[in-house]
Amino acid sequence: MKKRFNWGYLVSLLLSVLLAFAIGAVILVIAGFDPLQAYAAMVDGAFSNARHIGDFLEYAMVLCLTGLACVLGSRVGIFNVGGEGQLLLGAVVSCQVGVWLAGYSAWIAIPAAALAAMAVGGFYALIPGWLKVKVKVNEVITTIMLNTIAASICQYLAKGPWKNTNKNMVAATEKLDPRFWFKTLIPGSGLSTAIVAAVVITFLTWYVMQKTSVGYEMKLTGQNPRFAFFSGIKTDRIVIVCMVISGAMCGLVGMFRVYGVEHLYRSSISNQYYFEGLTVAMIAHYDPVTVIFLSFFFAVLKIGAQGMELSAGVPNQIYLIIQTVIIFFMAAESGIFASLRAGSQRRKARADIRRKEGEGHA
Amino acid sequence: MDEIAVRFEHVSMAFPGVLANDDVSLDIRKGEVFALVGENGAGKSTLMNVLYGINTPTDGKVFIRGQEVTDFDPKTAISMGVGMVHQHFMLVPSFTVAQNIVLSREPRRGRIFFDNAAAERKTRELVEEYGLEVDPAAPVEELSVGLQQRVEILKTLYRGAEILILDEPTAVLTPQETEELFAVIRRVVRDRGMTVIIITHKLYEVMAISDRVGVMRKGRLVGVRDTADVDEKTLASMMVGRPMLYDELEKTGVPGEELIRVRDLAVRDNRGLLAVDHLSLSVRAGEVLGIAAIEGNGQSELLEAITGMRKPESGTVTIRGADATGKSPGEIRAMGLAHVPEDRLATGLSRDGTVTENLLAGKQRQSQFNRFGFHQRTSTVERYARELYEKFDIRGAGTDVTAGSMSGGNMQKVVIAREFSFDAPVLIVAQPTRGVDVGAIEFIHGQIIDRRNHGCAILLCSADLDEVFRLSDRIITLYEGKITGEFTGPFSKEEIGYRMTGSRQDEKEAAV
Repeated sequence: MKKRFNWGYLVSLLLSVLLAFAIGAVILVIAGFDPLQAYAAMVDGAFSNARHIGDFLEYAMVLCLTGLACVLGSRVGIFNVGGEGQLLLGAVVSCQVGVWLAGYSAWIAIPAAALAAMAVGGFYALIPGWLKVKVKVNEVITTIMLNTIAASICQYLAKGPWKNTNKNMVAATEKLDPRFWFKTLIPGSGLSTAIVAAVVITFLTWYVMQKTSVGYEMKLTGQNPRFAFFSGIKTDRIVIVCMVISGAMCGLVGMFRVYGVEHLYRSSISNQYYFEGLTVAMIAHYDPVTVIFLSFFFAVLKIGAQGMELSAGVPNQIYLIIQTVIIFFMAAESGIFASLRAGSQRRKARADIRRKEGEGHA
Repeated sequence: MDEIAVRFEHVSMAFPGVLANDDVSLDIRKGEVFALVGENGAGKSTLMNVLYGINTPTDGKVFIRGQEVTDFDPKTAISMGVGMVHQHFMLVPSFTVAQNIVLSREPRRGRIFFDNAAAERKTRELVEEYGLEVDPAAPVEELSVGLQQRVEILKTLYRGAEILILDEPTAVLTPQETEELFAVIRRVVRDRGMTVIIITHKLYEVMAISDRVGVMRKGRLVGVRDTADVDEKTLASMMVGRPMLYDELEKTGVPGEELIRVRDLAVRDNRGLLAVDHLSLSVRAGEVLGIAAIEGNGQSELLEAITGMRKPESGTVTIRGADATGKSPGEIRAMGLAHVPEDRLATGLSRDGTVTENLLAGKQRQSQFNRFGFHQRTSTVERYARELYEKFDIRGAGTDVTAGSMSGGNMQKVVIAREFSFDAPVLIVAQPTRGVDVGAIEFIHGQIIDRRNHGCAILLCSADLDEVFRLSDRIITLYEGKITGEFTGPFSKEEIGYRMTGSRQDEKEAAV
């Protein structure tokens, strides 16, 4: 079970990142910016003050949890593209639960809201999971479509039945009772006590996947479901359960965004955050530990790019360019490495033949 | 007779990490039947794929009828008169015989329209010319495997082949069909002066059909002999590189209580057709029941229904006295059954999993591998995997590599090691040595008989009839999902082959 450290992966990741920055630099030069100055501004944007550090930690938390939610599905061979919808629903429902429980103690309201977020996110993932297992409907299609439906439902709730009483604000729920807000750890930033829960969840997810018998069964199911079923694993159940947990995690991220940062629900609660987490999971080749590290990296990049836009006037879309190029190279990586390896082996085999012939003639 | 049809000069073929052909020089004479034998992975098919233009050799030259091959491409090979019949037929099932034969060289009407009448006429001419009886208008999917093979041979003849390569042609044939094929080979060689190269690992076939035989081992051609000068033992020793003793397996003990009982079982296949047709059988402790059947006669579905991989339509399966009908594989395994599936890649292994992970499958919840019921004892698991690896003589790069990176024979050993180490009293074994080399076959057969002698009830199914004969105490023949005969030793190959083609055993009711 021991997996040797994959140096090849690390090297290609670093190379991809370097190349991405190089290509980003070329584009910056073409656009008339000084790339060194821009990148310096980017680093500055992430680390220059405590507020920015708090922001990138909060964003790293979101990336890490959504990324792991995606890994959890892919581990059992199901690709959860529907995390965005699960996240939004978790956010709006947990927020409204908080609104309803306004008079109660935070000890009742917050757990109730967390349970509601997980339940609704989990249920929303159960639908495609169940369809996949029972009727073999492709989960990628169902989850993508359910995303759109979820966004519309949330929009309707925030504009309609659960809309706040403030006439000026459109499409947002009532603000939460301040007693329910997660305590902000760095003033002015989005970093709240939710990070503690996130660390615990991250650890548990990693532990279950990497260290337990259930994690082993998940892996087997993802690798070859027929073989897993053959060796006695209840594959249908394991796929559905993992999908539900994946959805529950996304729902919880939605709740963290509401209770930790926004304190009410509006659509800006998530700006395609799940897809960014999914991207991280893909770049990490669905390895949980790598997801954790890369979450920090991309969070620095994103928050830094926002700072760069303010200080150096460089559009923060440069972040998207760099991220996309990294994905591109990481996707090409396995192919490039395989062809290099095959080439060198073929050369070696040819040399062996030549050498043998040389000996034969001597 | 001494004209050279094919000449290989110092041909080497390297694939990443393997030298599949190592400096092979060989002349094949016009008008002879040349048998190429060797263990799996010895490089027989690779060499023939070079001749047929599928592989471009890394080194060396190939001459076809004195002409050097410069462009390795099947099209070129076909135009130079080479035809090849692959192990897996390349036919379009819904097309007729004639349509399949003319495919890629269709007769046309007005340059555009397919001329079916001309295709059938040409096919009929071919059939008559070579005496290979087959109906040109019959859809291929309705033909038996033997006839499909005949269509493949006709296809190569239609394309003007004078050198015919047959890759393991008898693997899917009954003894009778094999005889017919050999008659065809003799006829085309005698009447048409064709050259036939036959790849096989069945040595008695080499003796029966070939003029000369070439033996390959680990990519090298280790010898070419006139068939008349050698016997099967010599060839076997040449193949494995050491004297081969195909010892009698020692079977001890008497059959005990009934451990597998199947009553009136009906199972449908993936297309919804009745594959197992109200069949009954039983296997007792200390007994090997062999199933002899041509592929596609319900044996796969039968084993799947017994092991829980497929839901039966009706009937019952009883394992050690408990009802197992329609239960999941997990539940049936808990009743004391282990299962070597017929297809190790699709069912028996996870290619992306490590050897350790593959050896553990099914035992992960046992307390020795599991602390507090959930925490995996990694070091115990690893030690256990290494023990099995040693005990079952698995050869590869250790237990940390992925199963998919190993050779087929070693993958099969991983499956055997895992399933046999359950110590289950009931074993379902399908194709235990498919793609496994001679040395490993001995080992696996020994393991099966060892389990039998320890009181296991074993249900065995194999496409290799010799294997069924060698291991079984009792044999049933299956045809279209029904038992057509039951035999106890000594087994008669003719009789069993006859029953496999569907002739029912008179009077005597099949099975218990």
